[in-house]
Amino acid sequence: MILSAYAVVGLVTLLVFGLALLVVAFHHPGAKELQAPPAWKPYHFGYPVYALIFLSFDMEMIFMYPWAVVFADLGLTAFLDMFVFLAILAGGIVYAWTMGGLEWE
Amino acid sequence: MGVATASLFTLAIIVAGAALTALLEPRLYGKKRERGPTAVSPRQDVVLFNTDRWLYPVAPIVALLGVALASVVIPFGPKLIGADLGIGAFYIIVVVDFVVLGLALGGWGANTPHAVEVYYRITAQLVAYVVPLGLAYIGAIMMARSLSTVEIVEAQSGLWFIVLQPIGFALYVITALMQAYRAPFLEPFARSIDHGVLSVYGGGKALLWRISLAGVLFIVAAMGAVLYLGGWQGPLLPGPLWMVIKTFAMMIFLIWLGGRVRPLSVAEMLALSWKILIPIGMVNVLIVGAMILLGVGPS
Repeated sequence: MILSAYAVVGLVTLLVFGLALLVVAFHHPGAKELQAPPAWKPYHFGYPVYALIFLSFDMEMIFMYPWAVVFADLGLTAFLDMFVFLAILAGGIVYAWTMGGLEWE
Repeated sequence: MGVATASLFTLAIIVAGAALTALLEPRLYGKKRERGPTAVSPRQDVVLFNTDRWLYPVAPIVALLGVALASVVIPFGPKLIGADLGIGAFYIIVVVDFVVLGLALGGWGANTPHAVEVYYRITAQLVAYVVPLGLAYIGAIMMARSLSTVEIVEAQSGLWFIVLQPIGFALYVITALMQAYRAPFLEPFARSIDHGVLSVYGGGKALLWRISLAGVLFIVAAMGAVLYLGGWQGPLLPGPLWMVIKTFAMMIFLIWLGGRVRPLSVAEMLALSWKILIPIGMVNVLIVGAMILLGVGPS
């Protein structure tokens, strides 16, 4: 059952590559040359701290999915657990905010 | 459905969905409005020098793979689904991000100043939307007690989640616009950088971009219908038709709403996400939890 479900995922992957090859093989209109300067120049990467905080928060999100599935069965215990967890996360955001982390640099 | 039928059904869904979206979307835009991700033109091929040999051509295929894999778990009926994966809702968040990966690879691989700029902007978009989007999903998952998209829809047979969780729906609408790169969050494809990575692709590859960028709007709207609008459920009309109606109603609403607001810069989008949406999302999780403890919602 599980195997056949994921076989669909695998087969769709193969079909997408097939479809992409078909499109590229059968659709080639006239071409024009594109003149562009080289990309060797400084860029403005203004969100290094956002990116770091994101890494930790994205990982915390993983814990919330299994918790959300069993929440209704566990009841108050699960609610209090997540309350503590969210309080710590909110503390993290408040800390980053007051330290000036949530700013475009 | 057998494996082969289900796979072909999935591919038909995404191609038909993207085609309908591509037909409908330009009609919703006025003349003045920025075209955003629809600005790619497959009518002429492009010859570009200094591109990366692998990253540049593979980028649109990665993006198309993302939307095609996402459509595996979009249900059009209790049995009318590519595959009812047990982790459907989580799976779709992961695979839709392949579109960001494709755009980043394409921007980096094309090796022109504007395309590389897209690499940075699209990564910022991912940093902004993933966490609040996850929080918007969590509310629906808590009430449905399952990650399966079919069970999430079936949990709404009594009352749609948009009624029970209006905050969650508002959160989903805003993050859906970020996830689909539609106005006001179209900075990666802004006119000021010549539509970024889209202007360096042409011919067949541009057609693949067209399908995947229309497809991502289709997927995001369909998922909105699944999570908050009761999916295929409705009176009189057959289920699959309801699902299509809700998907395109959601899409029209998203495009209309995006047109009401001025385009936001990447910095404003990040601030909106981390200072407003994520705190609201956390409060929403607690509100939904309290509602379930009080006995509200599907039993």
